Parts: sequence; structure tokens; C-alpha cells
Amino acid sequence: MEWKPRRGWLGRFDRLGFAAQQKILIGAVYLLIGVSALIAAIVFSDAPNWLIWAPFTALFVILELFAVEVNDRMMQSSSLMVMMTAGVIFAIQPDSDAMFGMALMAVMGPFALDDFRERRIFQPLANVGQMVLAAASAGLLLDLLLGDIGVASQDTLLLVALASALAALSWTTVQTVMVRYAVKRVYGDENLEPWSQMHVLLTSEVGMGLVGGLIGAAYLIVSRSALLVLVIGVYAIGHMSLYAFSQLREAHLGSIKGFVKTLEAKDMYTRGHTERVAFFAQMIGDELAFTGTQLETVKWASLIHDLGKLAVPTELIRKRGRLDEEEYEEMKKHAHLVEEILAEVDFLQPMVYIASGHHSNYDGSGYGGQGHSEGRPPSLEASIVAVADSFDAMTSARSYRMALSQQYALGELRRHAGRQFHPDVVDAFEKALNKSGRSWGAPHVNDEEMARRLAEEPELTLRG
Amino acid sequence: MIALGVGLTAAVRASSEPMGLMVAAALLVVASLFGVSASNSGNRFTTGLAVAAAIPFVLGEGNSVDLAGAIGIYGIGLAAVWVLRLSRGEEHEELLSSLTRRLAGYIVYATVYSGMRVGVYAGLDGGWEDLLPFGVALSAWIVTEVLLRALIILGPRELSRTYLARALIHDLNVFVGLALTGALYGEMYPAIGWRALPIAALPYWFAHSAFRRFQKTRVTYKQTIRALARIPEVSGLGIDGHADRTTALASSIAKEIGLGPVEVEDVEYAGLMHDIGRVSLNEPQILRMGYTDDDIARWSAEIIGESPYLDRVADHVRDQYQPYRRPGEQSDPDISIVSRIVKVAAAYDWQVHDQGLSPLQAMENLHAGAAYEYDPQVVASVRRLLQTRGVLTAVPATAR
Repeated sequence: MEWKPRRGWLGRFDRLGFAAQQKILIGAVYLLIGVSALIAAIVFSDAPNWLIWAPFTALFVILELFAVEVNDRMMQSSSLMVMMTAGVIFAIQPDSDAMFGMALMAVMGPFALDDFRERRIFQPLANVGQMVLAAASAGLLLDLLLGDIGVASQDTLLLVALASALAALSWTTVQTVMVRYAVKRVYGDENLEPWSQMHVLLTSEVGMGLVGGLIGAAYLIVSRSALLVLVIGVYAIGHMSLYAFSQLREAHLGSIKGFVKTLEAKDMYTRGHTERVAFFAQMIGDELAFTGTQLETVKWASLIHDLGKLAVPTELIRKRGRLDEEEYEEMKKHAHLVEEILAEVDFLQPMVYIASGHHSNYDGSGYGGQGHSEGRPPSLEASIVAVADSFDAMTSARSYRMALSQQYALGELRRHAGRQFHPDVVDAFEKALNKSGRSWGAPHVNDEEMARRLAEEPELTLRG
Repeated sequence: MIALGVGLTAAVRASSEPMGLMVAAALLVVASLFGVSASNSGNRFTTGLAVAAAIPFVLGEGNSVDLAGAIGIYGIGLAAVWVLRLSRGEEHEELLSSLTRRLAGYIVYATVYSGMRVGVYAGLDGGWEDLLPFGVALSAWIVTEVLLRALIILGPRELSRTYLARALIHDLNVFVGLALTGALYGEMYPAIGWRALPIAALPYWFAHSAFRRFQKTRVTYKQTIRALARIPEVSGLGIDGHADRTTALASSIAKEIGLGPVEVEDVEYAGLMHDIGRVSLNEPQILRMGYTDDDIARWSAEIIGESPYLDRVADHVRDQYQPYRRPGEQSDPDISIVSRIVKVAAAYDWQVHDQGLSPLQAMENLHAGAAYEYDPQVVASVRRLLQTRGVLTAVPATAR
């Protein structure tokens, strides 16, 4: 039988790309899971005290709307704290259960303003599913562990702490597993953080859950409503600071990037160079299983690696062909200058040494500032920046030659591995490039001579 | 001494046990060792504030509060802090004025709290009644501190009272956060005793670490911008140290004439970045074609316009060479006070450190240009600052 294109909604679904189809499927399945969990919670557990549920849910929604992503290492889990406080109160109070209250609270959470603005549907739907299931599982744990203790007292604080930590653990695990599955299905493997980074997230989430739970218990013991207002006040102030911090942190990175742009504006051929070096360096770091802090360090070092060039006369930077001895000495200064310029920025010192060593060779030759010591190989991080820098220099066009192909550039890196470049770094880079499936440089330009001729006689390219 | 006197007098009249009072005072002193400094306003807040805020709660029973006890603890604690900080070599006058303000503010807080508690205790139910006295007392405390800062000159003379008052308002979030933590502890103490301490400390710990991170990033950010500001100087395209000195003077002017911490920060970033456009001067083509001061201002503004957070000062930097007022016209309201301050500070530094004039000669030149080239208010402020610092002598800088 001949296959006919389907009509209507199904036909539109068929015409979508693979990723879009996966998004819709996962969104639908997750939503279904969430709705089932919510129905189960409503059927099998008691309704919460609505007078407590409403303000907590409002706060939860606000915190979710203004969520702060501090960085890849520390997630801001304040909403979890609020939910856990409410959960402990519901679980301990007679005639109410945490599972119902928490699952219903979770439904309200996952709608960020950006989702509406950009008309995203998949993400909020999938989020509803995973948050409701996570909340229901955490609530169930709280109900099981705390449902029977009757009245909260000082002696139950320890049990409350344990229960909230476990509930937070369950919340985080369910969410992470579901998010990872969705990302894997939709985008493939490349966007995933390695599992080895999970402990940081877990510590922060479990800590927040614990705090939230204890506050809930304290409220029940003291039985004064003023307590909750005070906690929320302290918390809101902290959240504001954290928000300001995350914005300033972005600005810090942005300012450096802005200055680098200025540097690169001097020469159209190096435009975007720094950002690409940072990108390649992070690829290598990922492949070498670097931690979040190490990756961050490498990223910053890549961003500042050519800052010293701002202080080198423009004519040298732009010069076609070889520099003479004197000019070369002048040019070499840029590796020292980055140290001089950034000497008083404490935070950047480790990155500055990496940056000033990016012209230092694996066999101990080369030049640089304190990041280079004659006769000794540079740090692994400096080797990474060196490889990323050279690769981008080869695969992007210059005034005197065309961009070279990725194969040629990798071949050159391999040829000089062990002398100029760190062999492990070159290996890791090759693997990472293969995995990424992207290709850099001009595909067929496989030797330097050809690249020069192509730049001089552009019509050669047309003749193929 | 005043604090100790007030403290001891009050403690003698207190109804609580003397031993408990001493323990609380000791706790207050220890808590005063931990704190956060706000880098741009110069305020420092310690956890002592939280302990102080909690004291009236802890000393209260039913509708009565041991007011004398609370003030006694605070007075004794403050006296100890005073000795401690003096021994660390802090400036006497400044310390005295800040501690006096604190004592006065606290007495108002404790008095209002205890008075309100008597009044409302029986009125409400469900725990809300504790919020009312606390809220009113905290507001009274803040108003007292702000007013004292705004009215009494008892501090470093280079800072205007307006600036001091605005600096406190700017950092109210930390002040209130600490006070709320104290109240939180005070609320829980009667029911769960010492266990209230860790539980009240947990949310505060979160707020504290967030604030610390923010301050740390702020310091790092300023260091980075300062470092980047040196690029023209490192390349030999600017006067050595010009950006730094201009910024220091501009910042002092801004604080002296009573701008708020946010504007002072703008002045600092604009001062650091005002000559960054000079990096373009290593472009041979530009040197051949020639350039004006306005070109440099424009290039500087273009460079910082690319950076988030700094872009807000781009306009100030672009206008930095505009005159205060052209002959026959009113002063231009579009030229911000930030631009006018940077203009005067940069001109002063250029005359003294590049042209080799003495501060007095430079000052005379500024005066000559006041009301046309320079904002007279800013020039007057420079004169006051230089007089306070004692640098206005008749000897030319080169002759020394």
C-alpha cells in the first residue's frame, strides 16, 4: 500500500523536524505523568489547610518566576525551601497531607515569563510533569515519615530534619532523571552535564530542603504566624542580594567580552577569535572531565588571553607576512602585558598565569610571562588555551591566506604534539571535535600554499 | 564612656538577673565580630545588630519588657565594642559618632517596642501581635539613625551628611535583614530555647552568604574595571595614574556634595573609563588625521557602551568635555552632574600631573573657568576638599 501524507494536525506533526516531534511527545507524556500524580495525590491524600497553602503557593510562584541561576555549580533552590516548609506543616498537622498540598503547589510553579513571551510550550508542559511528580514523591515521603508524630515538639526536630532531607533528595533525583531523559531524547547527548557534577547540586538542594523543613517544624512548635512573615522577610532579602549578585557576575563577564570586542575590532580577521577560543577550550575541558570551577577558569583565561594585544601597536598586529626580529620582540610583549594590566584583580590571578603562558610550548620552549618557565611544560590549562588558539588561527581567514580546513589544522596539531602542544590535549580536542559533528575552517583547503594562492587570486576558488 | 554609663545605670535598674544580662552582653560583643561590609557605601553591619534586635523579645514576658535590661545589655556591649575597635586602631572621632548614633537608635527601638507591646498585647490573636510593635520599633530605629546621620556633623568632614544618610538608606536591606533575624530568634526563644539559634541562623546564613557574594563580586568588578582603565597608560598613550587619581578626586567630590551611593558609583566608573578611548591612539591612521578631546570622549563612550552595567555611564563619558554653560545661555540640563564632576576632576589632575602646576595654580584656573567651562558647585567642592587636606599652598609643584 502506498504511503499517503496524513492530513490536519497529524500531517503538521509529520512535517515537523525530529527534535520538534520529540519535544511534543515528551511534553505530552510528562504532562500525563504529572496529571496522574496530581490525581493520585488528590484521591489518596487529604487536602491541605488552604489558608496556609495559598500564601506559600504565591511565594513559591514568585520565587520560580524570579529564579536565579547563580552558575552551573550552585543552583538557587529557594523555591524548594518554601515548598518544604509548607510540606512539613501539612504532613504534621492532623487532617492534612503533604502530598496533595505539594503536588498542587508544583502545578503553579513552572511558568516563567519568558516562556509566554517566546511562546514556548514544550518546556513548561514538561516542567509541570516533572515538578508535580517530584513534589508528590517528596510529599509522600514526608507523609510517611511525619504523618504519625501527632504534635510537633522539640524532640521531633531531628526526625523532621531527616525527613526533609530525604524528601529534598527525592525531589532532586526525580527532577534530574526526568530532565536528563528529556534533554537526551530531544537534543542528543552533547548538552548534558556529566553526572559527576551532581553532588554539588544535591548538596545545595538537600541543604535548602532541610532548612525549609526545620522552619516548618519551628512554626508548628511556636505556633505563631509572625514567624513565617519574619522568615519570608529574611529570605526575600537574601534572594534579592543573590539576584543582584548574579546580574553583576554576568556584567563582569560581559565587560571583559566588551573589551575583547574592542581589541578585535582593530582587525577584521581576528573578529570573534577570543569567543571561539573560549568555546574550543571549554570543549577540551569537557572532554578531559574538568569540574565546573576548572571549566570556568579555562573560559576566563581564554577570554583574556589576548588582552595584552590592546597595548601592542596596531600596525604590528595587522602586518602581513613575517615580523622582523625587533617587531617580534615587541609582539611577544603581549603575553607579559596581560599580567601587568590585570595585576590588581585578585580573582583573575590564576587565569592571568594561564593566559600569559599560552605561547609556552610543551617541550619548555616558547615565550610568555610568569605562566611560562623555560625548560618546563606549561600548565594543562595553558596547553588547552594554546591548542584552542592555534586551531582557531589556522581555521579562520587571515589577510594573506584563506582559512585552512579542519583536517589540515588537526594534522598540524598532531604533527607538533609532544613538542609544541600537549599530546593529551590534542587527543581530547580531536575526540571532542568528532563528537560535536561540526566542522570548522574551509572544507577543501588542505595546504598552506593553496590557502595563500586562494587569498591572492580569489577567482581560483570559483574555478574550483 | 557614655555607652558604658548608660549601660551600667540601666543594668542596675534592670529587673532581670544580672548574670543573664552579662551573658547576653558577651554574646553581643562576639556577634559584633562577624559582619558584612558594603563596599560602595562604607557601611558595615554585624550580626550584633541581630542579637540587639532580639534582646527585647527575649527579655519580654506577657505584656511587659525589661527595658532597662535591654538598654543595659546594649550599652555594656557597645562599650566593649568601642574598646575593641579602638585597640584595632580605628579613628577615634568617626568611631565615637557611629557608636553614639547606634546607642541613640537602639534606645528608641527598645523603648518603642516595649511601649507598643504593653499597648497591643491583648488586642490581637494568632501571633500577629508581635509583628506590630516590632515593625513600628524597627521603623523608628531606622528613622532615628538616618536623621542623626543627616543632622549631626560628627564624622569625617569630607563626607556630606546627605551622603551618609543616603548611604544608610541604600543598604537598608542588610539592616532590615539582620533585625528580622533577631526578631525571628526572639519569637522562637520562649518555645524552644537555645534550639532557636540554629534555626533562626539558617535563613540568615543564606541571606548573609548572598550578600557576601554580591559584595565580593562588586569588589572584583571594580578591580577589573580599574585594571582595564590602565590599558592606555600601560601602552604609553595616557598620563600615568591619571584615571585612578581622577576617579579618587571625582568620588570625593561626589560624596562631598551629597550625591547618593549609586551616583557616586557612576562617578567612579565614569572617572575610570573617561580616557579609555585613548587605546585607539595606537592606530596610525588616526594619528595622521588628528583628533580632538571630543573624539576621545566619543570613542570611550563607544567602548563602554559595549559592556553591560558600564553602559549606563556611557552618556556621562560622552559629555565629559561639554562646557557647563555657553555664553548667553542657561546651563545645559542634559549634561549630567556626573559628567561635570569628571570634567573638573580630570582637568585638575591634568594640570597638576601633566602640566606641572601647583594645586593652588590649578585651583585658580578652575575658578577662572567656573560658571562657564566648569560647574561652580563642583569647583567649590574641590576647593573645600583641598583645603581640608591642606594641599593649597603657594609653592608650584615643580619647585618642591
